[in-house]
Parts: sequence; C-alpha cells; structure tokens
Amino acid sequence: MKAYVNAYESKSCAGDTQELMDAIYSKRTGVTIDTSYMPDAPVGLGKMRYEDFFEAMNEVVGDVLKNSNLDDFKETLLIVGSSVGGMQESERIYFKDKNYKNIDPSRHAIGVIAESLDKKFAFADTRSISTACTSSANAFLLAKRLINVGAYKNVLVVGADALCHTTVCGFYALGVLSSKACAPFNEGREGMNVAEAIAAILVQDQMSNDSIELVGVGASSDAYHMTNPDPEANGAMASMSDALKDASLDASAIDYVNAHGTGTLANDKVEGLAVENLFDGVYVSSTKAITGHVLGAAAAIEAIISCEVIKRGLIPAQANLTEAENKTLNIPRENVAQNVKYVISNSFAFGGNNASLIFGGLSQCPKK
Amino acid sequence: MPKKVALNVISAAKIYAPIQIENLDEKRIVPQMMIRRRLTRNAKITLYIADKCGFKGGKIVYASAFGELQSTVGITDAILNNAPISPTLFQNSVYNSAPSYFSLLNNDKDEIITISSGMKSSLDALKTAALQALVSKERILCVATECLSIENIQEVNQCTSYLEAGAGVVLEIADDEAGALNIQDLKEEGVIDSLQDLFRVVNMSEKGVVKVFIEL
Repeated sequence: MKAYVNAYESKSCAGDTQELMDAIYSKRTGVTIDTSYMPDAPVGLGKMRYEDFFEAMNEVVGDVLKNSNLDDFKETLLIVGSSVGGMQESERIYFKDKNYKNIDPSRHAIGVIAESLDKKFAFADTRSISTACTSSANAFLLAKRLINVGAYKNVLVVGADALCHTTVCGFYALGVLSSKACAPFNEGREGMNVAEAIAAILVQDQMSNDSIELVGVGASSDAYHMTNPDPEANGAMASMSDALKDASLDASAIDYVNAHGTGTLANDKVEGLAVENLFDGVYVSSTKAITGHVLGAAAAIEAIISCEVIKRGLIPAQANLTEAENKTLNIPRENVAQNVKYVISNSFAFGGNNASLIFGGLSQCPKK
Repeated sequence: MPKKVALNVISAAKIYAPIQIENLDEKRIVPQMMIRRRLTRNAKITLYIADKCGFKGGKIVYASAFGELQSTVGITDAILNNAPISPTLFQNSVYNSAPSYFSLLNNDKDEIITISSGMKSSLDALKTAALQALVSKERILCVATECLSIENIQEVNQCTSYLEAGAGVVLEIADDEAGALNIQDLKEEGVIDSLQDLFRVVNMSEKGVVKVFIEL
C-alpha cells in the first residue's frame, strides 16, 4: 500500500499552518529575542502562544480530525516524535520545590504526549519515538513502512516539543545559539534558535482529493561524533540516497530540498556539501529562519511545509540570507513559482541520527 | 486484529541490579578510554547487552521510558544552582545516546530508532523491531534499558526494585510460523514495567523458545 498525507495542522511561533506559510513566503520570522531563560544572554527563540501546551496539542489534533475523512481515531495508530516530552512541567515543579516529590514520573517522560492524546482521542494504539531532532522524521519512517506492509490504514504522526530550560541552556552550553533570528547557509551565521511547535499529519493508505504522497523515507547513522556531523557528509548523503531509493527516484527528480538548515556552522556546511554532492543545482532553503528549530517536532512541521510547497507550486526563498557560504548551492533569494513534483525534507540529530523524507505531488491534486 | 509476524530469536541477554550493575565488562568492550569515560550508564548496559547477544552492527531499535535521567538531572541541577552546564552532559541527555554510542564504537551506519512509550516502551520496541525485520529482512537488535540511579530517586520511585536494568534480543523474520509462540507471561519480578515485555521474550528464549509472534 502507498502512503498519502491527507490532512494536517500545526502551531508554531509563526502561528497556524496558514499563518506559517504566509510568514515563510514573506520572510517574516516568528523568532523573538528572549532573556527569560538566560537573563544575561539574549538569544533568539521561537515561542508559541498558549496557556497549556497539552491543550494546544488537543486543538491541533482536533483540527486534523475535523479536516479528515475520519469520524474518530479508533482505527488510527498514533506515532509521536518528541525530544523533551513532559520536561517543561517537571522542570517547573523541580525549580519551585527543589525536590522530586510532586513530580509524576509518567508526566516527565516522552510517553506523556501520546498518553495525553490517547486519553482525549482514543487511538487504536500509540507509539512514541525520541531520537532528538529526527524524532518525528523517524515517526514518518515507521508510519510509511506500517502502511506499506498493510499493518495500519491510518497513522497520525504528531511532532511536539515545548521550550524548556534544559534545551535552551543546553544548546547555549554547546555554543551554538544565535542572539538573533538564525540565518541558515549564510556566511558568518551565529547559530540556531531553539523553538517549540506542534504538528499533526494524518497519513493514510487511501488517496483523497487533496493528497500528497509520502513516496520515500531514508535513515542512517553517521558513526562519527555525538554532536558534530561527519564533515564528509556521508551520513547526510546516505539518508537522502536511501529515501531516493525507497521512492525509486533519481536525484534529478527532486525540485526542492527543504533543508535541516539549523543555522549552526557545522550543520549547514555539511548539509550544503551533501546537497552539492547529490544534486545538480536543486533549489534548497531552510524554513528554520522562520520557525526556529523545533527539535523533535521539526520533521513534522517541515513535512507540512513540504506538502504546502508542492500544493502551491511555490518554492520558498531563504530568509535572512545576505551572502551564502556555499556559493555552489542554488539557494533562492525570492520565492520561485514552478510546478513542484517532489520535495525532500532532511532532519539530522545528536548521535549522528539522520532521516530524509520525500513528498510527491499527485497529478490529480489541484494546485492552489 | 493487528498484523502479527513470526520472528526467530537469535540471541538474548538481560542484566539488572538494585542500585548499580557492578561488572559491565567495559574495559574489554570499550578499550578506548576517552570514549569509555563519556559513556552514559544506559550506553554501558546497551553495549554489554549487544556484546552478550553477539551483535556487531546493523539496525537497532532501542527503548527507554526515562532515557538519560542522570544527564538530565545534572543539567537541571546546574541550572538551579546557576552553574555552567557540561556540554558532555547535554549531548548525552538525548534518549538515543545509548544506541548512538554503539553506532560510534562499531562504525555502525545503519538505522537507529529509539522508542520511549512510557511503561509499554519495550513492547513498542519489539513491535518496531518486528517491522524493521519484516521490511529489511535483516537481523535487528532490540534492546531496552533503564538507569534510574540518581540521588533522591526514592522521592518518586514506586515502580521498581532495580534502579539499573536492561534486556535485549536479536531478531530476524522467520521463514514460517510453525512453532512460534505469543509473548508469554514470564515476568521478571521487581523490574520496571517499561522493560517487562523484552524481559519476557528473553526469558522465553532462556526456556528454549526460538520463535515468537510479535504484532506490528
């Protein structure tokens, strides 16, 4: 069975999906300069507006259900990708109480997101993946394979990560945060922006009249370093090559690379090299200049962006680009209107974990 | 009914201790001192289980409900005390640290999936390993660990007598379903529930079961 993306919704610092795409195409970042986590070190962060993160998740998933052909999720597998789970809440309690007594361990772990959504929507089954910044990419990888082998007809992929002190201060300790909105692929870029988001995507074995096909998935490990990417880009190339192989596509079929493009010196250099080696002049840009890096939710929100790019036939310009570091890359400075058949979306993570997803437009899909 | 597949259990291993597992054979398994010093406890147990299972490389499905608790606590304590955060602690705090260290030490460039599904983490890891075995036709290492040995853990620990535990199996798709058994109720008393399903399969293997059914 083939896997089709049939409904989705998201919330990020750039708003809902419609607002996000407007922001991307007008190069309007949702990242703001923040001192609430580190008073002495202003950093660019992608902060969402919500009273309760879990309530915001219910709203996003509820919207997907409303937009789908399903009455409920009783025959749907939920696969969550997250890197922090319930850490925001346990941090708040620990910093206040200075002990663990009022922390519910089950609400600290990654699994709390799936448990909470299951309580609200009653899924057939749930699964949670945590491979840092590839978490929701690997959720898609499993979703496609489960549908391919006929194990499930419907899989809801949810990527969800909330901002917390551990990630903001941790990335700061690594020296990779930017004091302003990040500038992926730009010469002299400072680094990345930690951000938060919720994205939910319904993948099904049947086509709808507005489907995008999830045509290929690929994954690899660098086996090089826990945080730095392999400078020869072998891992990044392997995940993209595996996705192309899974999709039975030649690299020349790809119209747009939605890059991982965090804005860190190491990632963008290596990812640029991988794209340069595998493709010949393909358009490449990173939407993290608008959303920030939403960690475990990145692949999920970028899957939605990839689907929108195909539906709209409009490749997004690279925001915050003044001078590209890698002069051979085809980084669009303005949005490019063209028929977009295939988009590859990359996610790379700590531990050298790499994953790439390929989305394809269907000829019967009306262009917006 | 969810689709089930029959899998051969190639090898299996388990280990646990009330506070800390004493001998994980680290010097032999990881001769490189610099890397050995950076390993998390979950990584050390994962490497031990992989070694016991004779797994040298390939696709890995790893599971842990609570992940790298020791690293996470080190970071939150540093924040609370306005102390600098160790970059090593932060890089080790992600849930996929343990299998990533295996990848690094064994030059394993294959797929790694890390499951963290609360108390059904090892069951979901087995389901994911079954899918990976079905799709790839390769042998898969399915390993799960929990390391809860942090100061004052007694304030929240009501779920296990063993603060360190791990189990793993190497699985491959069976040619047929003959003789395959569903996962039996061979619970390991006192071990945290997040690991119990994998312990059950290990215990079945120790009793001579060589083929199991796992739902996808």
